[in-house]
Amino acid sequence: MDAMTPIPATQAGGSPVRASRVRPGRRVADRMLRIASLLATMVGAVVLGSILVMLIWKGVEGFSFALFTQPTPGPGSEGGGIANAILGSLILTVIGIAVATPVGVMAGTYLAEYGRGSRLADVIRFLNDILLSAPSILIGLFVYTLMVRPMGTYSGWAGGVALAIIATPVIVRTTEDMLRLVPGTLREAGAALGAPPSKVIMSVTWRAASAGIVTGIILALARIAGETAPLLFTALNNNSWFSPDLMGGVANLPVMIYQFALSPYGNWQGLAWAGALLITATILLLSIVARVFIRDQRAR
Amino acid sequence: MSASPALRSQLSGRNPADESAPVRIAVKGLNFYYGQFHGLKNVDLNFHDRQVTALIGPSGCGKSTLLRTFNRIYSLYPEQRAEGQILLDGQNVLDPKIDLNELRSRIGMVFQKPTPFPMSIYDNVAFGLRLYEKLPKSELDGRVEDSLRKAALWEEVKDKLKQSGMGLSGGQQQRLCIARSVAQRPEVILFDEPTSALDPISTGRIEELIEQLRAEFTIVIVTHNMQQAARISQFTAFMYLGEVIEFGPTTKIFMNPEKRQTQDYITGRFG
Amino acid sequence: MTALTQPIALARESRATRAGPSRGLDRLFRGAAYGSAILVLLVLVGILASIIWGGWPAFAEFGPGFVTSSAWNIGTEQYGALVAIIGTLASALIALVIGVPLSIGIAIYLTQLAPGWARKPVAMTIELLAAVPSIIYGMWGLFVFAPLFAQFVQTPVSNLVEGMPIVGTLFYARVPSGVGILTAGIILAIMIVPFVASITRDMLAQIPTVLRESAFGIGCTTWEVMRHVLIPQASVSIIGAIMLGLGRALGETMAVTFVIGNANRLSASIFDPGSTIASRIANEFNEADGMQLNALMALGCILFVITFVVLILARTLTRRVKIA
Repeated sequence: MDAMTPIPATQAGGSPVRASRVRPGRRVADRMLRIASLLATMVGAVVLGSILVMLIWKGVEGFSFALFTQPTPGPGSEGGGIANAILGSLILTVIGIAVATPVGVMAGTYLAEYGRGSRLADVIRFLNDILLSAPSILIGLFVYTLMVRPMGTYSGWAGGVALAIIATPVIVRTTEDMLRLVPGTLREAGAALGAPPSKVIMSVTWRAASAGIVTGIILALARIAGETAPLLFTALNNNSWFSPDLMGGVANLPVMIYQFALSPYGNWQGLAWAGALLITATILLLSIVARVFIRDQRAR
Repeated sequence: MSASPALRSQLSGRNPADESAPVRIAVKGLNFYYGQFHGLKNVDLNFHDRQVTALIGPSGCGKSTLLRTFNRIYSLYPEQRAEGQILLDGQNVLDPKIDLNELRSRIGMVFQKPTPFPMSIYDNVAFGLRLYEKLPKSELDGRVEDSLRKAALWEEVKDKLKQSGMGLSGGQQQRLCIARSVAQRPEVILFDEPTSALDPISTGRIEELIEQLRAEFTIVIVTHNMQQAARISQFTAFMYLGEVIEFGPTTKIFMNPEKRQTQDYITGRFG
Repeated sequence: MTALTQPIALARESRATRAGPSRGLDRLFRGAAYGSAILVLLVLVGILASIIWGGWPAFAEFGPGFVTSSAWNIGTEQYGALVAIIGTLASALIALVIGVPLSIGIAIYLTQLAPGWARKPVAMTIELLAAVPSIIYGMWGLFVFAPLFAQFVQTPVSNLVEGMPIVGTLFYARVPSGVGILTAGIILAIMIVPFVASITRDMLAQIPTVLRESAFGIGCTTWEVMRHVLIPQASVSIIGAIMLGLGRALGETMAVTFVIGNANRLSASIFDPGSTIASRIANEFNEADGMQLNALMALGCILFVITFVVLILARTLTRRVKIA
C-alpha cells in the first residue's frame, strides 16, 4: 500500500495552510472502498431490476384470457394457455405445504420445547440445516427412487412429496427459531397453572409465536412454488388438461417454463414468459408478505 | 441497633402474626442443586395457613429457588433437582409419584414480569379453569368475573373481556395473572417479586390485593424490598447463601432479630 | 406438625377432586413431535441411501476410474465423472471469486455507508434476489445476459488474446455464443450474493458499536475500520457464509442448465461450454436407462459428498444464521 508515502508529499502538493494528517494513500483506499461497495450494491439492484424488466417486457405480451382458460398446446399447434400448469402447480404446492406444515411445525416444536440439551435434538438440528441447503435435484433423485420407480410412473403425488421435503426444513427452522423467542416465563406460567406440556405448547407458546411460524410457512411456500429440478423426475409434465388422477404426470409451471422456453415454437416461448412472470410475481409477493409478518413477530 | 425508623413505620398497625394458625406447607431438610451448584442447604421452614410469609435476602440467596420448589416448576429444567421433603397438607410434593399438573393447579404462582398469555382477557382467566373443571358457560362467566373482582381488575376490564390481555398496562397485566391464579381456587399462591417490574402506584394496588387475598389463601412472597415485606407479611424468613438464617413473625425479625446477619441485612449494611 | 395439617386436608377434600386433562393426549403430542423430528433424520438418511443404492452399479463397474475418467459415451456405455466434477468445481469457484467481493461490498455499504433512508429498501432488494426462482435466473442468463456477454466480452476478448500463451487458451471462445462455464459462474455469483451479503451484514451489525466507534475515534478511515477491525472480527462467520454460498453454487441446477452449454468435453477455456453434475443429471435423467441411470445416480452421490462436506464446514463456522 502506498500509505507509506512520507508526510511532506502532501505539503509538496502545495497546501500552504496546514499539513493534512491523513496521508493521500489512506484517502484513496477509503474512497476506493466507498466507490466499490456502492458499485457492488448497484450491481445487485441492476440485476434485480433487469430481471423484472425482462419478465414484464416479455411476459405481459403473453397475458391473455386464454392463458388462464386453455391447456398447454401440443407441438406446432397455435395458441393455447397454461391453465393446466397453473392448476397443477397449485395442487402440487398445496400437497407439499399440507404435508410439510404439520411435520415441520411438530419437528421444530420438538427441537425448541422437548429437545433442549438432548443429543438427538442437536443431531436433528444439524441434519435439518444440511437438508435446508441440500441441492434440490438430489431430493428429486430420492423421490424418484422412493416413489416413481416402484410405481412405474411419474406422478403428482411424487411431485408433492418432493416439494414437501424441500419445504419441511424451512418450516422446522423458522418454527424452532420463533419458539425460542418466546420468553421462558410464559411457559413457566402455563405449567404453574397445572397445564400439561402439550397444552402449554398448543395454547400458549404456539400462539405467542404464531406470526413467526406463519412466516416460515409462507417462506416455504415461496421456496417450493418455483422449484423446478425435483419436479423433473417426479411430476414431470402433462400437455393435456389436468385429470384428478394424481397417479400420472401433472403439468406444472416450472417444468412447463423449462420445456417451453427452450423450445423452437414461438407460441410456446410466449407462454413460458407469461408463466415466468406469473410465478415470479407470486413469489416476490409472498416474500414481501412474509417480511411484514416477521416484523410483527419481532415487534412483539 | 434495629431497623431504621422508615422501616419501623411500615410495621406499625399491621395484623399480627397468628402463630397458632395451622401449618400449610412444611419444608423439611430441603436441599436443592443446579447441576453441581448447591443452591439450598438443609432448609427447614413452616408456612402457616392464611398468613403472608415473606422470603427476603440478598440476590442469589436462594429465596426464589425455594419458592420454585413448592410447585416443582424447576422440574422444567432437567439439570435442576431437589432432595428432602415439602409437605403440602401432609403430602410430600417432592414424591416422584405425585401428579405434577394436579399439584400445580392447587398452587398458584405469580411471576416477576407479568405473563399474560396471547389470548383475550377472558380466556386468560378461564385458561386454568378449563383445564380441570368442565363448567357450563354461565358458571364459567361467573367464576371469571369473581376472579377478576378478587384481583381488583373487574371494573377496569369488564367492557373489554374479549380484547387481548397483552394490551393492558403492566400493573393490570400483573393483576390479570393474579386473577388467573385465583380462578383455579388454589390453596397456596406464590409470588415471585411480583412488583419489581411495576411503578409505585401499581405496586401499592398489588400489595393491597395480597393483603385481601390472605383471607382465603396461604401466601408466600419473595421480595427484595424490605419495606414491602414489612408492610404486607405476617412472617418473614431471612435467607443467605442458600440457608435460612432466621424465621419468625415479621415484627420480630425487623424489630428484634436474633442473628447478627439478619440485623446487618435489615439495617442495610449489606445486600 | 404433620398432624396439624390434616384437618385442612380433610376440609379441602370436600371440594371436587380435580380431574386432570388426559395424559394420553399429552403423550400423543410428544410422540408426534418426536416422530416428526425423527422423520427429518430419516429423509436425509433416505436421500443418501437411495443415491448410493442407485449409483452402486456404476461405482462397481468402473471403480475409482469413474471419478478420473472423462468418458461419457452412451453408445459404448462408458461413463466417467471427471468433466462434470471439473465443471461443477470451476463454475462454483468462479461464482465465489466474483460473488464474494460483491457480497462483502454490499454488506459494507448496508452497514457503514448507506444513508438511513436507503438501508431498508436496498436490503430488501438484495434479499428479494434470493427469492427469485432459479429457473428465472436461467432464462435471464440465457436470453438477456448471454447475448450481451458474447457481444461485449467474449468476442473482443477472444480477438485480443488469440495466439497468446495461457490467456490465449483460457479466454478464447471458439464459438462466442455467450454460454459456457464462465457465464454459469457469473449467474451463480449473482445467485449466492443475497445469501452471503445478508449473513455478512448481520455479522457486521452484531459487532459492538463501541469497537467501531473507538476505531473511528482514533482517526481511522472507513476502509481502515473495515480492514483492521470489523472484517477480522467477523471473519470466521463470513467464511462460514461463503461456504454456505458455495454449497448453493455447487448444487444449483436449473440456472446452470440454461447457460452452461451442456457439452461433455474437457476444455481449457472458461468461455467454452461444459457441464456440471447437476446439469448433467437434469438433462439426461429422464431419458436414461440401465447403466446411464446408475452413472447419473453415482454423479448424484459425488455431488452429495461434496456439498455435505462444504455445508458441514459452513455450519461449524457460522453460528446458526437466520434464514429470513
